[in-house]
Amino acid sequence: MLKMSNIKKVFRTEVVETHALRDFSLHVKEGEFVAVTGPSGSGKTTFLNIAGLLETFTDGDYLLDGVDVRNLNDNQRSQLRNEKIGFIFQSFNLIPDLNLFDNVDVPLRYRTMNSKERKERIEHALETVGLVNRMKHIPSQLSGGQQQRVAIARALAGSPRFLLADEPTGNLDSEMAESVMSLLEDINSKGTTIIMVTHDLKLAQRTPRAIAVKDGRVTELSHVVEPVIDIATAKPAMA
Amino acid sequence: MLSYYLRLALLSIKRNPILSTLMVAAIAVGIGASMTTITVNYAMGSDPVPHKSDELFAVQVDSWDPNNPFREPNIAPDQMTYMDAMALMKSAPAKRQTAMTKTFAVIEPEDRDVRPFETTGRATYGDFFQMFEPPFLYGNGWSRESDDNLEMVTVLSRETNEKLFGGDNSVGKFVRIGGRNYKVVGVLDHYRPVPKYYDVTNGPFRDPEDYYIPFNLVAAFELSRAGNTNCWKPNNEEGFQGFLNSECVWIQFWAELPTKSEQEDYLAFLNNYANQQKELGRFPRPLNNHIQSVMQWMELQGVVDDGAQVVMWLSIMFLLVCLLNTIGLLLTKFSTKAGEIGLRRALGASKRTLFLQHIIESAMIGVAGGCVGLFLAWGGLQGIGALFGNEVQHLVRLDVTMMFTAILLAIVSALLAGIYPTWRACNIQPAVQLKTQ
Amino acid sequence: MQIRPILSALSRNKTGAILIALQIALTMTIIVNSVFMIQDRRGQMDRASGIDEANTFIYSYSGFAEDFNEKTQIPEDLNYIRQLPGVVDAVQTNSAPLTGGGWSMGLATEQGADADGVGTAIYFVDSHGLDAFGVNLLAGRNFTPDEVIWRERSETKWPGQGIITKELASDMFDGDWQAALGKTVFIAETHPINIVGIVEKMQAPWNGWNGIERTLLFPSQLLFGSGRVMVRTEPGERDRLMREVEEGLVANYDGRLIRRVQSMEEIRENSYRNHNGMNTILTTLIVCLTVITALGIVGLASFSVNRRKKQIGTRRALGARKIDIMRYFMLENFLITSFGVIVGAGMTIGLNMLLVNALDLPKLDWYYVPAGMVVLWLIGQLAVYGPAKKACQISPALATRSV
Repeated sequence: MLKMSNIKKVFRTEVVETHALRDFSLHVKEGEFVAVTGPSGSGKTTFLNIAGLLETFTDGDYLLDGVDVRNLNDNQRSQLRNEKIGFIFQSFNLIPDLNLFDNVDVPLRYRTMNSKERKERIEHALETVGLVNRMKHIPSQLSGGQQQRVAIARALAGSPRFLLADEPTGNLDSEMAESVMSLLEDINSKGTTIIMVTHDLKLAQRTPRAIAVKDGRVTELSHVVEPVIDIATAKPAMA
Repeated sequence: MLSYYLRLALLSIKRNPILSTLMVAAIAVGIGASMTTITVNYAMGSDPVPHKSDELFAVQVDSWDPNNPFREPNIAPDQMTYMDAMALMKSAPAKRQTAMTKTFAVIEPEDRDVRPFETTGRATYGDFFQMFEPPFLYGNGWSRESDDNLEMVTVLSRETNEKLFGGDNSVGKFVRIGGRNYKVVGVLDHYRPVPKYYDVTNGPFRDPEDYYIPFNLVAAFELSRAGNTNCWKPNNEEGFQGFLNSECVWIQFWAELPTKSEQEDYLAFLNNYANQQKELGRFPRPLNNHIQSVMQWMELQGVVDDGAQVVMWLSIMFLLVCLLNTIGLLLTKFSTKAGEIGLRRALGASKRTLFLQHIIESAMIGVAGGCVGLFLAWGGLQGIGALFGNEVQHLVRLDVTMMFTAILLAIVSALLAGIYPTWRACNIQPAVQLKTQ
Repeated sequence: MQIRPILSALSRNKTGAILIALQIALTMTIIVNSVFMIQDRRGQMDRASGIDEANTFIYSYSGFAEDFNEKTQIPEDLNYIRQLPGVVDAVQTNSAPLTGGGWSMGLATEQGADADGVGTAIYFVDSHGLDAFGVNLLAGRNFTPDEVIWRERSETKWPGQGIITKELASDMFDGDWQAALGKTVFIAETHPINIVGIVEKMQAPWNGWNGIERTLLFPSQLLFGSGRVMVRTEPGERDRLMREVEEGLVANYDGRLIRRVQSMEEIRENSYRNHNGMNTILTTLIVCLTVITALGIVGLASFSVNRRKKQIGTRRALGARKIDIMRYFMLENFLITSFGVIVGAGMTIGLNMLLVNALDLPKLDWYYVPAGMVVLWLIGQLAVYGPAKKACQISPALATRSV
């Protein structure tokens, strides 16, 4: 599904070169739910941007669903994002001027799709996240958890093969975080591949597979050990 | 506190240099364009003799064609026939009054080295000089006796005196005008009323004439006239006398009537005179006689050019566009400051103080725009001077009043433009802003 | 393609959009009416005077000396000029087209005080007149030398022959100009004139007069003490002859003043100076206005792009191509401009109606309004192009940044 080999990403300014990723290799199979953890500045976001085709990389190979994305131009990458990838952002990134229906409609607008099909998909996606009766509301009228569910609906509407979630629960309280998390698990169980970036170790332990990024490299985390901390009383790892 | 606001405003202006420049430029261009055209219109419509414009009256008697008015809608002629002018000069009850016309002649200097030159003259009565009060450099005007006795006297303009006598006091000397010798009794100083209200028929922005002579000499010597002549009835009598007895109008007629009762008496006299003439078979139209004060006369004669007025209104609309522009820019600018405003609110600033802070910023932009605009207006007036030539040279001066007006207009404009964006910015809920920071 | 979402986004930011739309409406109103006034004046300036302007000059004389005898001096002067090499012909006249000063009278097809008259300009010329002015005789004949009579300033009689312009003939004879030839018309109620010739075109001296094409030529030489002489030259000889004629005349006799030696080109320029000046002012206004409005759009659009950076990044992340982002801003501007030009069309026609009432300006031709709309659409699109271009350079990675 996603195969990165020896990806290198260097940011250059006039004075310094920063190696955000060095020899970054990762293989994610179809249907997996992978959590990516790591401290701030470890390269998580860079990995996410590259995985989501939001940024190009300096060196290495990246096959997404069998497509070599290295030499794609901007338009081709846009199309690939649009069709294969669903994004969920930490700060939701809903468009404040548009109502829920129009927000979910955004990615569909960049495809050739007739209005009837769009309408069906939007309604179905909102139904999945349980907000179909709020279609005409604008984002500021919703709670944070509801907003994130709209964002998930938006990601699902295009039926992507693969979801990229960037700290999806980072701006939410634990109750809402839980509902979002179980929604994601539900989606994964229906066959969508999910990569979730988080710095919350507890969340990472909940997914079938977790990796850690440190200094631009990957380390696999093992899930053999059950968590010893009582989840109910635990404080977030990096509050 | 004020200096704190001024410093904040300056900081804020510096923070978005491009946007600030754009706003100042918009106001400047709008002020520049509108002040240029307002100045021209203001000069065209200005009162040329403020201290007595309510005492000087243009006299209109309607001796025109029974079938058509002189000008629609039923406007009496702007000039008078010789017969009527003479009758009024003889017996109309005015403190002072004068009939006058424009003439021209070649002046031959004594000095054989100076070539003869062509000049325009004003044939008028001695009262002219007390009525319109042109400033004298040397000597005086002539008396009513000089008028009655057909004395060959003249008053020269300063420019003519300079050409003929090198600017020396020429009172008592003789000048050869149109082949006749006239004795100089006075020399005027610089005199250029704008508009030239006493003869708008022959161009409200023309230069005054080069010399003045008694009106009665026109008939006596059958002098050539240079002004506008309008006739409605063919003149079948031979010779110059025939012309004088015709229904052609060619004489400007003014009276000085300082009091209300004098004005009423004068108008009554005109109506009475017209009725007498009707009995003699003249004045075929219904009574339509008027005395018009200087400003009424300017208005009636359309001294402020229609074209100039249209351009003025267009440029005021232009200023409006510039203001809309500024409003839009200020709105966006202040919207980027929502966070700062929310923070200040949270730290205890009242809406009033925030309003003051931002309105001061708007005013500063207005002052800057006004100053640049003043400069643009000056340039615009130079341009108009170059485009239209001599006749407008006295219309394109920025005086202190206009400069003051320009700055004031700029500040008022900027404040008007600033009110709505400022009001919107100050109504931001502090909590919302802080949360989404 | 995505008009409805753009409209609903706009409806949440009405003020900015309304401000731009109003600006565009006002700009359109001013520009279209100004262009129309400019074109109207240009149309007046483009009218041909009917005379050979390129090769003609005119001078004024006034006699002042005791021994100035106009009756002998005028023919002497004219003979002198006519024999100069390079001169086509010369004529004494009271006025000429474009000079702004002249003589007008009423002409009627019937005798009497109540007859309906047509106003016409009058030029007094001798048999050299047609040739010196360079006008084209369409029908009939020129004046013969023995028809030319001397005229004093206070003369009340009129010559018995006249040549009129085609337009005047047409106005007097119900559109049938050829019918005028040989007919008798009346001046000053009772004096008959036999129309002996019709010329194609010769303007009256006043360019603002609505009867500018109505002109009557009389066979008279004037004894007014001062007057004008019109000289027509071979092509390319005019400037040389302007100097030579003035010097030659003064050398022959210095008891009259020769002044204002002006080519017809100079006279035309002076005549239309106000027209030219007004057009320059209006053009300047149009240019400034266009620049200000365009800059305003650029400024507001740039800010709108800045404010929506995150949103643009998100759209890019969700699969929008650069062209989609570009199109969004162009379309948004198009919608705002459309609203502006629709309001503007109404205001434009309103202002024109005001001007028609107040200034006797002609009514706006219908095509000015759609043309103005198209121009403002273009201005809007050009102005928003830069900010839109900037918008589509925004990286999709912006979506994952938390600020």
